[in-house]
Formats: sequence, C-alpha cells, structure tokens
Amino acid sequence: MIGFLVLESGEVFAGSLFSESSELRKDFFAVNDFEKKFSRAGEVVFNTSHFGYEEIATDPSYFSQIVVITAPQQGNYGVNRDFWESRRIWIEGFVCLQTQYSEREHGWIKRLHESHVPILTGLDTRMLTMHLRKQGTPWGAIVIAKDKEEAKIKAKVLIDEKKKIQKDWVFEVSRKETEIQIGEIPFGPKVAVLDFGVKENILRQLKKYASEIKIFNSRTSFDIIASYKPEALMLTNGPGDPADVQQAADVVKPFIGQIPIFGICMGHQILSLALGAKTYKLKFGHRGSNHPIQDQLLKKIYVSSQNHGYAVDEKTLPEDVMVTQRNLNDHTVAGFFSQRRNFLGIQYHPEACPGPHEASELFKYFFEEMILNKKTEDR
Amino acid sequence: MPKRQDLKKVLIIGSGPIVIGQACEFDYSGTQACKALMNENLQVVLVNSNPATIMTDPELATSVYVEPLKAEYLEKILIKEKPQAVIPTLGGQTALNLALDLHEKGILKKYNVELLGATPEVIRAAEDRELFRNILDKIGAKYPKSYLVRNYEYGLEVAGELGYPLILRPNYTLGGGGGGIAYSPEEYKTMLVKALHESPTSEVLVEESILGWKEFELEVMRDHKGTFVVVCHIENFDPCGVHTGDSITVAPQMTLTDRQYQEMRDEAYKIINEVGIQTGGANVQFAVHPTTGERVVIEMNPRVSRSSALASKATGFPIAKLAALLAIGYSLDEIKNDITKSTPSCYEPALDYVVTKIPRFAFEKFSGTKDILTTQMKSVGEVMGIGRTFNESLMKALLSLEYHPEGIPDVEYTSEMLSYPNSKRIFAVFQAFRDGKSVLELEGLTQINPWFLEHVESLIKIENKIKQSELNFDVLLEAKRNGFSDARIAKLKKVNEGEILNLRNKHQIHPHFNRVDTCAAEFESSTPYMYSSYWSQFSELPNLDKPVVIIGSGPNRIGQGIEFDYSCVRGVKAFQKNQIPVIMVNSNPETVSTDYDTSNLLFFEPLTVESLTEIMRVTRPQGFVAQLGGQTPINLAKSLEARGFKLLGSSNEAIDLAEDRGLFSQICHEIGIKIPTSGMAGSLSQALELELKVGYPMICRPSFVLGGRRMEVLESSEELKSYFERHKEFISSTQPCLMDQFLSGALEVDVDLVRGKDWIIIGGIVEHIEAAGVHSGDSMGVIPPQRLKEETCLKIEALSKKLSERMNIIGHMNLQLAIKNDEIYILEANPRSSRSVPFIAKATQIPLIDLGVAATLMKSKQEVKPEQWDWRKSDFVSVKGVVFPFKKFTESDSILGPEMKSTGETMGRGRDYSEALMKAFLSSHVNLPAKGEAFFSLREKDKKEMLALAKEMSQMGYKLSATTGTARYFQENGLDCLPLRKVHEGRPHCVDHIRQGNVAMVINTTTGRKSIEASFDIRRACIDYSIPCITESDAAEAFLLALKKKSEGSFDVERL
Repeated sequence: MIGFLVLESGEVFAGSLFSESSELRKDFFAVNDFEKKFSRAGEVVFNTSHFGYEEIATDPSYFSQIVVITAPQQGNYGVNRDFWESRRIWIEGFVCLQTQYSEREHGWIKRLHESHVPILTGLDTRMLTMHLRKQGTPWGAIVIAKDKEEAKIKAKVLIDEKKKIQKDWVFEVSRKETEIQIGEIPFGPKVAVLDFGVKENILRQLKKYASEIKIFNSRTSFDIIASYKPEALMLTNGPGDPADVQQAADVVKPFIGQIPIFGICMGHQILSLALGAKTYKLKFGHRGSNHPIQDQLLKKIYVSSQNHGYAVDEKTLPEDVMVTQRNLNDHTVAGFFSQRRNFLGIQYHPEACPGPHEASELFKYFFEEMILNKKTEDR
Repeated sequence: MPKRQDLKKVLIIGSGPIVIGQACEFDYSGTQACKALMNENLQVVLVNSNPATIMTDPELATSVYVEPLKAEYLEKILIKEKPQAVIPTLGGQTALNLALDLHEKGILKKYNVELLGATPEVIRAAEDRELFRNILDKIGAKYPKSYLVRNYEYGLEVAGELGYPLILRPNYTLGGGGGGIAYSPEEYKTMLVKALHESPTSEVLVEESILGWKEFELEVMRDHKGTFVVVCHIENFDPCGVHTGDSITVAPQMTLTDRQYQEMRDEAYKIINEVGIQTGGANVQFAVHPTTGERVVIEMNPRVSRSSALASKATGFPIAKLAALLAIGYSLDEIKNDITKSTPSCYEPALDYVVTKIPRFAFEKFSGTKDILTTQMKSVGEVMGIGRTFNESLMKALLSLEYHPEGIPDVEYTSEMLSYPNSKRIFAVFQAFRDGKSVLELEGLTQINPWFLEHVESLIKIENKIKQSELNFDVLLEAKRNGFSDARIAKLKKVNEGEILNLRNKHQIHPHFNRVDTCAAEFESSTPYMYSSYWSQFSELPNLDKPVVIIGSGPNRIGQGIEFDYSCVRGVKAFQKNQIPVIMVNSNPETVSTDYDTSNLLFFEPLTVESLTEIMRVTRPQGFVAQLGGQTPINLAKSLEARGFKLLGSSNEAIDLAEDRGLFSQICHEIGIKIPTSGMAGSLSQALELELKVGYPMICRPSFVLGGRRMEVLESSEELKSYFERHKEFISSTQPCLMDQFLSGALEVDVDLVRGKDWIIIGGIVEHIEAAGVHSGDSMGVIPPQRLKEETCLKIEALSKKLSERMNIIGHMNLQLAIKNDEIYILEANPRSSRSVPFIAKATQIPLIDLGVAATLMKSKQEVKPEQWDWRKSDFVSVKGVVFPFKKFTESDSILGPEMKSTGETMGRGRDYSEALMKAFLSSHVNLPAKGEAFFSLREKDKKEMLALAKEMSQMGYKLSATTGTARYFQENGLDCLPLRKVHEGRPHCVDHIRQGNVAMVINTTTGRKSIEASFDIRRACIDYSIPCITESDAAEAFLLALKKKSEGSFDVERL
C-alpha cells in the first residue's frame, strides 16, 4: 500500500506503508477505521543511530514526533519488552528505508502496528534527511492517499489538528500518579525524580546508587516534593520546547543550592530556565549515538547518545555556572555545573539506551561527588 | 597536546611482498600515513621491499628504501637516515614483528630511536595468546577455552579434554598460517605437528570450537588522551570457523541489539586500555552465540589491518591517516573530519547505506588443494559493494568479483558445498533457494544466520517474479533496487542484455549517485566519494570540467594485483598534473586508488559495462582509460566504445591485433618477427596431425584461459594424449586447444615501452632468471640484463618499436619475448601497462606511467623530450623476487610452470648482480643458509650443468646429498655426496631425510608429468619446513651467487 510522508513545507515522499508481508497487510486492513488510525502527524526528526529502534520508539522524548532512522535496515533483531524505555510507544510514525522482510521476526512491524503507528519504507531517506537538515524540524504527516495532491490536503488537516494539542508536551507524557521505587543501596540517598518523560534507564541508574526514588508528575508543587525530604533531585528528559513546560522551572528554583540537582536533557533545560537562562531551538537538533562530548568533570572526550531539539544559550547562564560539557560538533552547551550550588545539567543521555555507555559515570559522579561528598563536608 | 615538536624525521615500515593475509591494504594505509605526515612537514623515511606499491614511489616520502625488511638492513637505514622514531603499526604483522626484533636486538636503543604507536609490550600482548588471555581475565572478558601447547604430548592430552572439533592457532604467524580446524584425532595429530613447526616460538593455542557462532569485528581508535571511538562495526555473513579474511562481511553490523552491541563496545574499550595501546587503530574480534547471546573475544590486533582498510572505505573515516597523526602527538578532537571539514574526528561514523565485502579466491590455481575454508586465510583479494540495502550491496559485491556478468548465475552444487564453507558457497546458497530449499534447512546446513539467509531468499523470490511476470516499471525497478544486473535479468527473461537497457531507458530507470559522508547526511560534506543506488532519488555529483575516467583493476587475483593499482594511481596524478580532472572507478577496498582523496571523483562500483555506462552517462567524460588497470578494463573497452564512449590511448583495433592470435601472427610475419610455430586442435586426432608441425616440446592450453590456466609443457605424444584426456571438458572445436612450439632453454625477457604520436620510449628490458617455461609473473627477473648480448638487446628494442608502430599503440605496451640461439621470438604483446611497469619504473627511474599519460594526451616529441630517458643509465642492478602461497595450499605442488601462482613480488637493489640477487631472495622469504646440506635431485640433462655448481657448493663448505642417480654422477666426478633413496625406492628415503631436518636447501629439477608427480613430496617437504627449494637450473645458479654474496657479509642500503 502506498503511503506518503508530507512535510509542512510542501515536500511529499511516497513510500510503502507497513510491510510487504501479506499476513501483516491482512491484519492491517482488519483494523477498524484503519486509515484514520494510521494517519498521523508530528514533528519530523531524523536519528542516525544504527540500532536501538525499540528504545527510541518508547522514549517519551519522541512524543509527537515522526522519527526517520537514517540507517537503512531496521527491525533486524526483533523485539524485546525489556528494551522499552517507558510504558508505551510514543512516536507518531516510523520511517526507514527497509524493515525486516521475514515472517520469522516481524515483531517490530507487528508491535508498531498494534500501537497504530504507521511505518513508511522504500522512500529515499537520505534525501529526506537532507531536507530535514536544511529546514530544521518541520511538521509533517504520514497519510494514505491516492496521489500526492490528495496527500497534501489530508496532511494539512492532520498537521493543523495536531498543532492544536496543548503545548506542554512534558505534562502529556509525565506520570500522573506518584510512584515510589526501591533502590539497590539500603542506606543510600533518597532521590526525588521530576518526571518530564523519564526513560526507564535513568530510573535504573538512579536505583543502582539510591535507597529509594520517588517519581513525581511534572506539575507537582514544591511543597509536595519538599515534604518527601529528598536528599537530591533528578530532573529527567522529556519532549518538546522547555519554554512551554508549566510550573516546573518555578518548582525547581527553590531547590537550587539546597539539595544536589541533576538534570538530563529536558531536565537540564528546565534547570537552566530556573537559573534564569534561556533556551533556543536548534536548527535540526542532535539525534543519534555518535556525538562527541568534551567533558571537564570526567576529564575525557567521549561519544554520547543524544536526542534534543533545544539547547541552552550559554551567554544567559549565571556567572557561577561553568559550562563543563561541550558538543564538539557544533560547540553548543552540552552540560553545566556549579560547585557552589551543587547542580549538574547534562544535555545528552548518560543513561544511553540506545547508545554508548561512557557518560554513565555521570550518575556515579552525581551520587559520589555531589551527594555523598557534600554530606561529608556538611558534617 | 598538539603535534610533538621534537619529531622531525620518522621511519615507516611497510609490509613487504603481497602474501595471503597481508596484501595491498597496507600499501593503502602506508601511503595515506605518508601523505599525512609529509603534510605535517615531517621528513618521512619509508622502507618496503615491494616495488609494486604506491608507497615506494619516490614522490611520496622524503626518502624511499626498497630493501629487505630485516633487522640488519633496518639498522643500516637507521644509521644513514637518523630518524627519531619508527612507526611500526602501518605495515601489518611484518612491521610489528620487525619492530619487536629491532627492540630485542637493542638496535632501537643503540640509535636512540623511539617506537611510536605500539610498544614492544603491546605487540607481545596482542600476539602472545597467553599474555592476551591474562589481560582478558583481568577485565573479565570471556574467551574460548584453550591451552597453550608447546609440545606434541601435551597437545594430545589437552585434546582429550576439549573435545572435537578443535581449532589450532600457532603464535606469531600471518593470516592464521599453519592453523586450522581438526575434526578428528587423526587430523589433529598431523595439524599439530605442522602448527608447532609453523610458529616461530613453537607455541600453538589449541582451542575449543566456537563453530557456528556469529562473528563480529570492531575497528577502533584511541588517542593519548584516552578518547576511544569505534569507527566501524562489521558482522560476518559466514559464522565462526571461516577466517574473517575469507568471510563475506557486512557493515554496519545487522543482528545485534543495542544492548549487545554496547556491551561489546565497552569490552573492546577495556581491552584496548588494558593491553596498553596509547594511540592508534586496532581491531577486536568477537563471537556471539546465536541463541544465548554469550560473547567471547577471539583476537585483537594493535595496528591498522585488512579490516581497518575495509572500515575506512566503508565509512570514509581515514584510519591510517589518523593513526599516523595520533602517533605524532595529536588527539582525535584536534583533527578535523576530512569529510565534513567542520566536525572533529572524535566521533563514530553513521552509515545510511550497507557495505558488503566478498573475498576472491584462487583455488583453481593450486590443483590438488581442496576448496574448503578454515581458520587459515586463503583468499587473495576482495571486493566491496555499497548499496542502500543489504541486498543491493551484496549483489553489487557479487558483480564486482568478476566471476560472472550475471552476478548470481545458475550453478550446480552439492550439499557438501553448503555444509563445508568454500569459495563458492554463496552461489550454492542462491542455487539452493532456487531449488526450493527453505531458510530453516539452509540454516541447518550452513549455520549462516537466518537474517542473511532470508535476504538471499528474498532475492530468489524477486528472481522468480522477474521470470514469471511482465517486466513492467515496478518489477524492473524492484529488480534493479535489489541489485540485479541487466545481464541477469536478460538471462531470466531469455532476451539479450541490450533489451533490458532499452527498457530501462524507456522507463528512465537509472541509478543515482550518493556520497559516502561518514555522517548519514547529518552534516554537509563535499567529499568526492560516490556510490550508486536505485533507491536514491537524487544525485550529489560535483561538476568536473571534461574529466577522464580511469578504470581500475578490481579485486586482486593471481596475475592481476597491486601493480595495476600503482599504474592507476600514478595515472591519476599524471592526468591531474595536466590539469585534467580524473574520475576513478574501482571495486577493491584494499587499494590506494579507492582512497577518497586520490582522484577528483571516486566511484566505488563494480567494473562492469553496465555500471561504467551509468557512471559515464551522468559524468560525460572526454574519454576513458583502459590501459592502466590490467586486463579487466581491456576486456570492457570494446563494449564501452560500442555504447558511445571514447577510448583514450591505443584503440580497440590495437587491442584486437594483440589478442587475436591469427591477426597477431600475421603482422609478426609481415614485419619479420619470429613467433613460435603453433596450431589449434579441437580434438586429439587433430592434435596428433599437428604434432609434427609444432614439434616437441610443445606448450598446450585451452583457448580463453587467463593467467596460464591448464597450460602445460608436453614432451611426447603420450603426454599429449594424456593432456587431452585430462582437459577434455575444456577443449572442443569451438574452444580449440592451442599448441605452441616450446622454446626449451630459451631466455625470456619482458619489454615495456610507451609510444606517443611521434615518439617511443623503451622503459626497459627485464631478463628472466628462469628459462622459458616459467610464467613471467613467477620468474625472477633482472634489469639490466646480465646474460643477453648488447647487440641482442638493441635488436629487441628495434623489434619492439617496430611492432608498436605496426600495431599503432598509443600509450603502454608490454612484450614477452624469448631468445634462443640469438634468435628473437615474440610470445605475447599486451597493449597496456603491465605487471613489470612499477618494477621497471623504480629500477630505471623512468616515470613510465606519466609518459603513458603524455602519449594518451597526444603530446609531441618536443613536449615529452624522450631522449632524456635512457633505461641503461642506472648505476644499480635490480632483481625482481617472487613470493608464493604454497604454504597455505597444503596439497599443491610448488614446481614452477606456465601457470602463474605467485601472489607478490620483491625488489633487490644492489651495486652488482649478486647483491641485488641476495636482497631479492631475502625479501622473498627465501633463506640463504650459511652452512648445512644441499640436496640435489636432477633430471638427466641438468646433471652436467649442475656439476660445476655442486662442486662450488662443496668448496664453500656445504655438504652434498642427492638421489641415487644424481649422487652416482657426482661421485663419479669426484664429489663427496650422500646418496639417498627416491620415494618409490623405499624407506628411509630422501623426503624422510628432509623432514628430519637434515637438509638446508634443495635443488630439484624435473620435467614431464610423471617425474613431476614422483618428486612432489620433496618439494612439499621443503614448503612445509621453509627450506629453499630451487626447481630450475638457471635459478640455481642465481641462488648460488646469492649464497656467495651472503657469506661475504657485506651489503649496503641506498635510497631510490
């Protein structure tokens, strides 16, 4: 079945929707109202990771986004629930050149299908990526249509509708219920986690060092979090524009200088907003597993996992804040640190999943240098 | 820290002659490193014994030494050049071993020379398996259970514990030499003896089998700051059990999850750090159990390698260049990514395409050898295909192999061809799917991962679709997107290839060309490195002003190797010097010609008429060059011209004159050049009729053979009958057997010349050391000639010029001539650059390729000034040495004949013939023993001639032994000689004597099929025990000269 990816700027890419497998196609047509369910709009972004498609699709940071994977063949190794980075698939569409043919492990196609996520293959993803690179992150839609003209019309309706959803995407993906999880270190610190769309592996990493973590909704008030008496605060990753996130920056502000704070990705941006700094939209963002970082805290240069569309404006950071991590591709701020006020913001993903593990030492740094050492100093 | 300021001069060690397991990928890495260091204003001294390389081109380094890669020679170079440091990580295991030797002999310390890139400790840790296992234990990495065996008894003991099959890996050998898989105790015992012998330290790792596991390789880099990147991850199509050099491999890796991959990456990082690699490139190989996911480490190499060359070509990341820059003090973040020009090099390339590498084999050259792949590498070359999908890249790689224009032809196969890995297995797998086998069945037989098998199956499904449905736009596009060649589609539709092209033109189905940019289009780049894809909707081609296309030589094979890459690369530079942009097309990832900054625009594509047509259709060159890449482009020239592209240099008519035997002999008669009498016979009866006309000895071969396949010298009617019987399937009235008079005992020469529109330059005359009957690629050669009379030389030059004029050559011509009783016979003319061109260019300092380009550009005599070049002017004698792969082909005979078997060449340069000879032998890994026993087994007619030689050897203090007949003859002539039984005369016989280690060298001349078979064991024993074995009397004379020179102990080194 022919499907189209239409970019808001007018480009239309024709590809094939779902798999070539007849069995799956049958399933597809069996879905009630399939055309409506599988026509989706979102921001169109590209990711250069070779593998880790399941982690990417379940990462809440991809909320409301159609993901184009530049590596041509996806779905190769099937699926595994253990790889999920949250409780559901968030992406609005999955685009790559080719998915696994076989009936043996069509797991990935099937899984997307069950979540009513359209898969578009067979289009020139390189050309598409170049468009995305030039245009920034345009809106787009995957639609079923008889020709390009019809596709454009259908897409416009979908995109307009999608843009109307409320802008605080973080709130959309954040846990509504507060949740406590037990850590692996019985006498370790207690950490409050402000869920902006947290990836499971951030929680796993925290639990390696903590006695307990408590996960709060993004719009939780200062008082509720403070009443938990956390020894540290974790601000997680999440989707969208940090400027649209309500409450969080104000909630974080009074914690600054009081307890150690670690912000990752959206968390890092919210932290910067709380500090009075500004964020801006990158032209086409950083999404992939191969971005070089110069890290002055860990004193090394390494390759990192990245997924963000916004960055912190260095000039607007307060004076006591040191830019300690830098993206070496474009020299944007990749992290900052204040020794005095004891917080750390990291723009990329030390929790990896997918991607290389070198930055995971930052969790250790958070617990050992920022939480435990500080404690000793206080005494 | 930026570049170290204290370094002014460094020495790079090359890898020596091309051998299996160490081929021109090291020319590629060495050349890239040289360029990078010269750019940094360092003085670079380069040493390599291989004249066919680009790295030994005097323009590349400050000073180039073509000298043996032995410690004593390196010492002389160190004294002369006084470099501050040596970089040993670019010349393969040869360079590492040599560096270790220099260190252990105290030479480095003596001259205060630093090792850069790898310390002795690192070299040892990677090669000494026990040390390496300790390191793995320390970081908690797993490896297959194994024992280090230092003697036979212990070997038997551990075998019982590990169980069969078992893997044997001797320490410190190239390409797994001497190792293999033993399935039974019997097999194990023989292999163990050999493996213990093969290891210079007599150590063999006997390992539990991980046959059938998935195999992976990570190409990594590390700098002195500890920054670590994985440049490329590669997955093997063939599961464990096949040497990775012999496996089909794919990048990026396909079947590991992110978790599995990242754990592997972490482990590689730990290994590199624990081994102590400070800077440079390395590779780590892993095996992963297909179902449990258990992972083990197979090995690690602390240097650039075959796979790093592949990784560089697959990703665009210049590993060798970076390794060189890191060695002189830079860190990865300080070096810009060459491709994007904006981002740093401390990143990991992202691929938006798939590459597949397929090795090319030469089993047919080594009769008697079983075509079975094991842990010992046997391939002689490789190709790489780039496509958007695995299917497209696999099919492009299969086409690049140049086995068959259809890429995946219908073949016959047996089920053994599926279950025992072999050079043709991939074709059998395709055929098995055609025959209706399932993925499950084939997984059971081959243990190949189902992911790969499903793709092969999908290709066969498309094949069926092509067969069964109308070839409309959709079907044709699907076929092309899956890499089907027009030739294959035509075959399936039973039409001719042209019709498919017409259909494609009608539907406008053409490939587009995209860039290898290291970053999957994330950043802008302008690297001129392209591949084609039918998936693509746009091309990223730069505009060039009237470029020329140079067609490369494709995969290395015996008979067509690195020497043609030298010609191509020099050719590129020569055109560029004339302000003409060059488009390079080649499919071989090991080469310098496929480096992204060699030409103005590089297409990594199969060398087929179809792909070249598509390239030239969009690039509109002023013409294409077919005379630099060996026989491959020559074979394409006519079809390309027929499609409207202009052939530069010698015309297709000239090619026809050279290749059509009838026409060729006609023009030879016309201008009065003798050629051996010949005839053609489609059957034995016809042959017997011609027998008298041609006369014995005669040389027979089926028509349409390459590199002397099935070519034999026959001495009698009886042998003629046997020849027809044995080769009947290759001889018919349409494919007659060619019978040529054999000029027994004649002296052979190679002549290379260049002809312009009004000028001719003779590049040189290479006199073969062995007499006629040995393939020119296998015989040693010397320039200037040592035995030819001056007047004969002049006659040869005159004749060659005359012939080139008659054939209207423009550019290169190579001639092979035989001289008998002062008469000159012409054996062959090739209207192209040849194997001997780089050797001659380096021996005579005449820039032959540049002159060939000048000829192609129709430059006049006034512009070229041919009188400035005189090949006789050199003060040096240069000898070409030859290396053979007989060790890897354990059932094959090492006797030299008309069929070429050598993989590489060396060059010995000296002030006189004997010095040059000595160096050539040493560089070719032929020992020159100072004492010991010389064993002779001679055919009747050589006895008299060899008597003087034996006498001389005896006077030099060598003991003599010989087979009974020869011994009697020597004794009768007053020599002390130990008689030994021939093999059929009962035991103990001469071979027992050799295998017991009593013999230091062997001189064994023989003719006739029967005697050759009878003396096979003698030669085999020599190969197994690395004993020099000379099979030809003229070569024996040369060997003696070299022995004498060696015993004098004096030698010198001199830069080119």
